[in-house]
Amino acid sequence: MRCYKGSSILATGHHPFFYKRPVSSLPASFPSTTLSYPTRNRFLSTRIQARLIHDDPVKQSEDLSFYDLLGVTESVSLPEIKQAYKQLARKYHPDVSPPDRVEEYTDRFIRVQEAYETLSDPSRRVLYDSDLSMGFSFSFSGRRRNRYHEEVVDEKSEWKKKWQTQLSGLKKRSNQRDNNSMSWAARMRRPHHTSEDSSS
Amino acid sequence: MKNLSFKELKALSDELRSDVVFNVSKTGGHLGSNLGVVELTVALHYIFNTPQDKILWDVGHQSYPHKILTGRRGKMKTLRQTNGLSGFTKRGESEHDSFGTGHSSTTISAGLGMAVGRDLKGRDNNVVAVIGDGAMTAGQAYEAMNNAGYLDSDMIVILNDNKQVSLPTANLDGPTPPVGALSRALSKLQSKRPLRELREAAKGMTKKIGGSMHRLASKVDEYARGMISGAGSTLFEELGFYYIGPVDGHNIDDLVSILKEVKSTRTSGPVLIHVVTEKGHGYHYAERAHDKYHGVVKFDPETGKQFKNISETKSYTTYFAEALIAEAEAHKDVVAIHAAMGGGTGLNLFQRRFPTRCFDVGIAEQHAVTFAAGLACEGLKPFCAIYSSFMQRAYDQVVHDVDLQKLPVRFAMDRAGLVGADGPTHCGAFDVTFMACLPNMIVMAPSDEAELFNMVATAAAIDDRPSCFRYPRGNGVGVSLPPGNKGVPLEVGKGRILREGERVALLGYGSAVQNCLEASSILDKRGLKMTVADARFCKPLDIALIRNLAKSHEVLITVEEGSIGGFGSHVVQFLALDGLLDGKLKWRPMVLPDRYIEHGSPLDQLAEAGLTASHIAATVLNLIGTPRETLYWK
Repeated sequence: MRCYKGSSILATGHHPFFYKRPVSSLPASFPSTTLSYPTRNRFLSTRIQARLIHDDPVKQSEDLSFYDLLGVTESVSLPEIKQAYKQLARKYHPDVSPPDRVEEYTDRFIRVQEAYETLSDPSRRVLYDSDLSMGFSFSFSGRRRNRYHEEVVDEKSEWKKKWQTQLSGLKKRSNQRDNNSMSWAARMRRPHHTSEDSSS
Repeated sequence: MKNLSFKELKALSDELRSDVVFNVSKTGGHLGSNLGVVELTVALHYIFNTPQDKILWDVGHQSYPHKILTGRRGKMKTLRQTNGLSGFTKRGESEHDSFGTGHSSTTISAGLGMAVGRDLKGRDNNVVAVIGDGAMTAGQAYEAMNNAGYLDSDMIVILNDNKQVSLPTANLDGPTPPVGALSRALSKLQSKRPLRELREAAKGMTKKIGGSMHRLASKVDEYARGMISGAGSTLFEELGFYYIGPVDGHNIDDLVSILKEVKSTRTSGPVLIHVVTEKGHGYHYAERAHDKYHGVVKFDPETGKQFKNISETKSYTTYFAEALIAEAEAHKDVVAIHAAMGGGTGLNLFQRRFPTRCFDVGIAEQHAVTFAAGLACEGLKPFCAIYSSFMQRAYDQVVHDVDLQKLPVRFAMDRAGLVGADGPTHCGAFDVTFMACLPNMIVMAPSDEAELFNMVATAAAIDDRPSCFRYPRGNGVGVSLPPGNKGVPLEVGKGRILREGERVALLGYGSAVQNCLEASSILDKRGLKMTVADARFCKPLDIALIRNLAKSHEVLITVEEGSIGGFGSHVVQFLALDGLLDGKLKWRPMVLPDRYIEHGSPLDQLAEAGLTASHIAATVLNLIGTPRETLYWK
């Protein structure tokens, strides 16, 4: 049972995952996303479902993974990422974009940059890959840079809540612990423990 | 220190951090790891009381803040020098160092031993073992956790997770993700975002639907947490450890609160606190460097620039890597294996050239050797590059999995002999002894870098049995290298004579040959021309050469930078069996003494061991009857 398949239910109003932004036009160069997960076929049906429910004819760049944005496969190496990024940056930079598509190209440029920053740092890439494998493609707001990194930082406050719960769990557990336990140390800890020599 | 407030503790950490940077900049040593644990060290000493409480530092290279806080601040300028502080924890140095470390992954085992010992003696102290995520890749850590979970003794294991497994966790072109599946699992533990958002979404939805659904959804949440948390915390919990974390390792308040709670919990059983730190944290240059300034020589704290000695020759490590690359270009079956030491073994160079033929297995020497054996079964030519001292860990695998089955695995043992500032924990004293006693192993040692190139080629050519060669820490002597870095395979079991002389013969093995040559120059000036020979092979010995030397000289001295039972012993065994000791020959061995040589500069160590050129010359003169002269030398 996988909880996130419930994304189809969520489409009815509550959108924690997909950040919808209006996009003025659809450039012809967007790749079709149904081809974008060659190694993740088991999630394919979920994603198609979600797409249909959105009922959106326009392929939005938020739905693309970082790998799609850079136009590379998921097993690509660092130099290839750098190369792809350089090509795309040159193409989508606001200074060289056609005047009628400046806003869209800038948006794309910022996303490509974000994709590059995440994928070129191995530790962030690892985190991103593991999210992706669980079927969550976070489409980020094009405005903020380092949004992925900031989310990592936000996690630290989550950590605190977690370990505080764990600590209280530890306390509760330790009150009950040795009552029935026959582990070596539990036997040693019992107050009426006599020395080992007296047992025959 | 116990009476400080939180703000003062923070100030203490900052001071401690600058102290570490300042000291290491003057002496060289390990930097990044120490910067990562400053807050952790302060928190530990605030909550626990050594020496009654035991704090164990795995590997020990991150113990500098601990040493500073435990009364050795004044001595930090002697760090890693002769007669000074050790670079690792050492029981003899201070009562606050509970256990001597240097090799990794030993602290959970030792900590469990201390916890059980405490229980048997009826004492009441705490035991805390600090171990890194890199050291967690070694099997011994799991052996210890498995046992700890079973025995259930109260102890605390702090997993210092900085996502660094290999040294450095970077190749020549940039950072690489840490090697191994464990690191992925630990990363997942830190990033639980999907779960959180999913839960928020589910909560929102079910609240709308109604009460019973809400309860059902929270049940779902419980299950989801178990499944999505995946391999990480459940792994430790299945082994019997109560998991707490992840925790921000640079936040003193958090660390102190947690440690205080855990300390005050009676009957906690084994607890694992997963602390996330950044290697090199707080020093701008270290944070940004690919190798996080793991090990540095003296540097300028303002600019981060290290004062590296410019040498005319490269290190033996680099020459080895170049030789192996040349062999791999000629033979496509050559592959290289190392245990998280891409920088130290030079195999990062190999990896850049042949990325699919270089294997970093994490800190797992035993696995590396058997893995190489498996590769050899399939017809590949595996070169296992493991330091002489770390090979000790994999000894049974060498004997049982490689030698017994006569599999052609090649062992390249760097850091053979005395190693200088790292001291006895890293000293490669025993490898000749433990390799040469194996029936099928070919054992050789180069006396200079050109010989090293040739021996790499020789090893590549030996396809029917295992072979090994050892080389020291340090730079080459400056002989000319073979063209194209491609060595020529030597004839197995043949040494060479470097200088012809009479009366006295010095038979050196490995780097000791250089000291023999120097000794012969010293005595040359006094009119004594000695023969100097390079044995090259300890197994099989060049018996023709030895017979020749034994029959045409009065004195034969075998010299090696290894313990008793090595080269010299094999030579004298042969001499005895061949009847060469029944005549007038005087044979003497020169080996490392039967005690551990403390850390210091390489020259000091060699002098302490009695293996310098002067010592060799003095030994010769003692034997041929003019001891008075030796009194005039240092």
